[in-house]
Amino acid sequence: MNEILQYTVQGLAAGSFYALAALGLAIIFGVLGVVNFAHGACYMLGAFAAAVLMDLVGLNFWLALIVVPVLMFFFGVLLERLLVSRLTALDPLYNFLLTFGLSLLLVDLVKREYGVSGQPYTRPEILGGQLTLGALRLPTYQVFVLVFSLLVCLGVWLLMTRTRIGMIVRASTEKSELTRALGIDVNRWVTPVFGFGIALAGLAGVLAAPFRAITADMGSSFIIILFAVVVIGGLGSIVGAVVAGFLVGLVEAFGQAYAPTLSQIVIFVLMAVVILIRPAGLFGREENA
Amino acid sequence: MSTTTETDSPGTAPAPAGGGPALLGRTRGRWLLLAAGLVLALVLPWVIYPPVAMDIAAWALFAVALDLLLGYAGLLSFGHAAFWGGSAYVAGLTALHWGLPFPLAALAGAGFAMLLAWPIGVLSVRRSGIYFAMVTLAFAQMLYFIVNQWRGLTGGENGLQGVPVHFFGLEAVETDAFFFYYAALPLILLGMWFAWRVVHSPFGRVLVATRDNPARARALGYDVERYRILVFVISAGLAGLAGGVFAISHGFVSLQEVAWQTSGKVVLLTVLGGIGTLWGGIVGAIVIVILEDQLASSGFEGIGIITGSVFIAVVLLFRRGIWGTVSDALARRRGERPAAEAVSAADGEEGL
Amino acid sequence: MSTKRLAATAVVSASVLVLSACGSGGPGGGGGDFSDGKVVLAVLNDQSGVYKDLSGPNSVKAVEMAVADFQEKYGEEAVVDEIEVVAADHQNKPDIANTKAQELYDREGADIILDVPTSSAALAVATQAKEKKKLFIDIGAGTTELTNGQCNKYTFHWAYDTYQLAQTTGTAVTEGGGKEWQIIYPDYAFGQDMDKSFTRAVEEAGGTVGDHIATPFPNDNFTTFLTKAASAEPDVIGTMQAGGDLINLVKQYNEGGYAADGIELAVGLMFITDIHSLGVEAFEGVQFAEAWYWNHDDENRAWADRFLEETGTRPSFAHAANYSAALQYLEAVQAEGTDDADTIVGNFEGKEINDVFLKNGTIRAEDHRVIHDVYLAKVKSPDQVTEDWDYEEIVSTIPAEEAFMPLDQSACSMGG
Repeated sequence: MNEILQYTVQGLAAGSFYALAALGLAIIFGVLGVVNFAHGACYMLGAFAAAVLMDLVGLNFWLALIVVPVLMFFFGVLLERLLVSRLTALDPLYNFLLTFGLSLLLVDLVKREYGVSGQPYTRPEILGGQLTLGALRLPTYQVFVLVFSLLVCLGVWLLMTRTRIGMIVRASTEKSELTRALGIDVNRWVTPVFGFGIALAGLAGVLAAPFRAITADMGSSFIIILFAVVVIGGLGSIVGAVVAGFLVGLVEAFGQAYAPTLSQIVIFVLMAVVILIRPAGLFGREENA
Repeated sequence: MSTTTETDSPGTAPAPAGGGPALLGRTRGRWLLLAAGLVLALVLPWVIYPPVAMDIAAWALFAVALDLLLGYAGLLSFGHAAFWGGSAYVAGLTALHWGLPFPLAALAGAGFAMLLAWPIGVLSVRRSGIYFAMVTLAFAQMLYFIVNQWRGLTGGENGLQGVPVHFFGLEAVETDAFFFYYAALPLILLGMWFAWRVVHSPFGRVLVATRDNPARARALGYDVERYRILVFVISAGLAGLAGGVFAISHGFVSLQEVAWQTSGKVVLLTVLGGIGTLWGGIVGAIVIVILEDQLASSGFEGIGIITGSVFIAVVLLFRRGIWGTVSDALARRRGERPAAEAVSAADGEEGL
Repeated sequence: MSTKRLAATAVVSASVLVLSACGSGGPGGGGGDFSDGKVVLAVLNDQSGVYKDLSGPNSVKAVEMAVADFQEKYGEEAVVDEIEVVAADHQNKPDIANTKAQELYDREGADIILDVPTSSAALAVATQAKEKKKLFIDIGAGTTELTNGQCNKYTFHWAYDTYQLAQTTGTAVTEGGGKEWQIIYPDYAFGQDMDKSFTRAVEEAGGTVGDHIATPFPNDNFTTFLTKAASAEPDVIGTMQAGGDLINLVKQYNEGGYAADGIELAVGLMFITDIHSLGVEAFEGVQFAEAWYWNHDDENRAWADRFLEETGTRPSFAHAANYSAALQYLEAVQAEGTDDADTIVGNFEGKEINDVFLKNGTIRAEDHRVIHDVYLAKVKSPDQVTEDWDYEEIVSTIPAEEAFMPLDQSACSMGG
């Protein structure tokens, strides 16, 4: 029982990374219709930015949680203005290809500059050690990651449901033709939304920095799992992305605990089953299947 | 899938089958081109190191296979490594354990790829556009993990080592990459010819129709999904043929062949060369394989910096790829209306 | 298509006449028998990927140092005046390694290929060496297959292998009191191999291995696996992860606070470059097998100083091993007066060598495993570090005969 609880928390903590990044992916897809293949590379850039800024200017973890997403936001804005916007009028596959090329470029640029070995990173002392709850003992940092990303997801949800901007974004995500037909100018929000999605990927990267190896390739397998996450959740669904993110984290943790060699296959089997039963994903709408 | 329903993905690719009046000059041009291509295929190992020439030929067929799906059916598969690599393992295993002559081994691999493609195709064509790309990618990942796990058969991370070349006891072919190239070339050309036949058949024409306007094709009584599944299986078979030849020519099969990066690479070189032309994939293969080979030798770090930027430039500026852009320019100089524009001018450049 | 010519370190023309005389009168009496009239050493390794820092471009530098030392030592007595060093990048992909190896042997006239990290790539090159009947000395790869099932006449394994890693760390840590083990290994050929070797070594040393926990590869989340391993309350968790996965695991081991519970971490495969990139704090106290350490004795240190001047960095064991392999190859060429591969193999087999890398070294004739003294190292604590790259404390030396797989266990038959 104790172990099951332990695996649950660990799974949810691992799922936090997927949920945050998938949320960004879903928002970008919703408003732009673009599946950002470079999302894994952006996650990697977030972790690298945290490590490099710590090395250069001594930026600590807490500040990095704010500074890096802001930087990534502007990076996203730049990307959208310079590249992505040129292709949004065309078949979305073009932007899928564009961002695929972009991920090759970004990963190898980072490799060229910083090599392939991991970057060092020190987390704040206060997040070290373990929290003990009865017989349950968990690394403080994992608990922090879980709580923090739940708060961020909640914040994004409030932003989406309680503000005008959010309404527009949500409406265009879930019923884009209708939104446009109502004469709401979605286009004004395209660039900041793209930036925001990239910032979320960057934030996931910062959270990963103390806990995972910071290498140029850290996003390469991450993005593939992320695709499975959004397919399971339903591409157009913001809630779906978050729920599926945590779900995949759990599946991974329990898979690792009870069928370690199959744990990676299980995620994709889950995805295949979802496609079979609900082609639009768990939270997607059937009519767009 | 809110913005991309399958109805709004018209293609820009020219459809040679229906494309333009058969002007005398163009017909002759096409034969000249074919002859030039054949000559190039024949002299390649004289000007390029033979194993690299073999790589080019194999990747060219792989790209042609992908183009059949992407350029003519409008379906972007990001999981074609499953068929290339799956076949590579089967070809390697049959050559290793049963001593099959390599053309049979490669064909066995291609057969396996088609068997594999059928269920994947049935599931994947339920979605189009981006979803199709991601779903095929995910299936390919499943195969990757299975191959990695099934160590006893596949050698896992070490790969399948020591795959022999059997060719009816002809020692020159079995030991010398130069002669092997000529023994394998007919298989590659056979695959390309088959792709060409498909494109120029009534089937190919229906395919282009399902790409440009699936709703209309359905209204005309065509079972769009069945056409898509069929072309998916054919494309997988050709990719498998290429992968089988590739595996035998290298003498082993590695996990790399089923990794998603391989799927990415074939998409990259097909789009770079120009989709919807079949020739484009060949050009893309020549450019990328030679570029990679050169860069690996020059000590330049970060091949992705170059291939990535070139790819971005192509997607942004030359969406018709090298082949499409050059042939349009040539057609314009001759004062003809480029084939592509003739076909797709009405649609504008809106889709793949 | 031409491979980068890093340095055509040719001794100049004036000595040609003298040299040709020397050649025919050379000690081995090979009659100045040189293919293309020169010796070409090729370094085939990872110039851009995960092993770039471990071997990469600096391995090429090390081989160039060997050539320079050889030419300085023999001067006009050298049996060959033109020695060339070429390099190529295999990107850790076996198919590229395969093509590049063919190209190096056929087109660049390489007489020997050196280095080749990544087991699958090394096995591919070994097959080429066998077919082309040219030499191959592997340094960077760990698979014991090179000197077992897939051994061949032209392939030598110079520095380390998975058996030796397990023998070093498994035995030494167990004898040091770490009796109860849990092993976490990546579920692919290398990891399985390591798991088996470690289990045998631990059990032979009187320890026990509880669970063998297989993990996916690559993987960035090891928390579940660590929880599982720690729940058995072992003395030691042995990890066979490498590269980025190792860093993931070590970070998560530190976060879990297992060290405070008295659960040690022993690492199967780790390099000084890993410590350098992540900092000693992260690895403090971790024990691992080291084939060579730059600051171990004066001889090593003197060479490392020269290496520092050439490259601006301290050498890894792979750099020293590349230097040693190139130098011993040239010595063999000098002794035999030819670059004929069969003759050099004859010279190598059974030879006993001591140089900066090989301490009490022997090239075993039966399986071409090069055996030599190896070490158990421990990562220093930050306050023990006195200079850059001074990260390791050598805990013990394992004699050559004990460190490597005994011949009676080897599945190698040189028949082919």
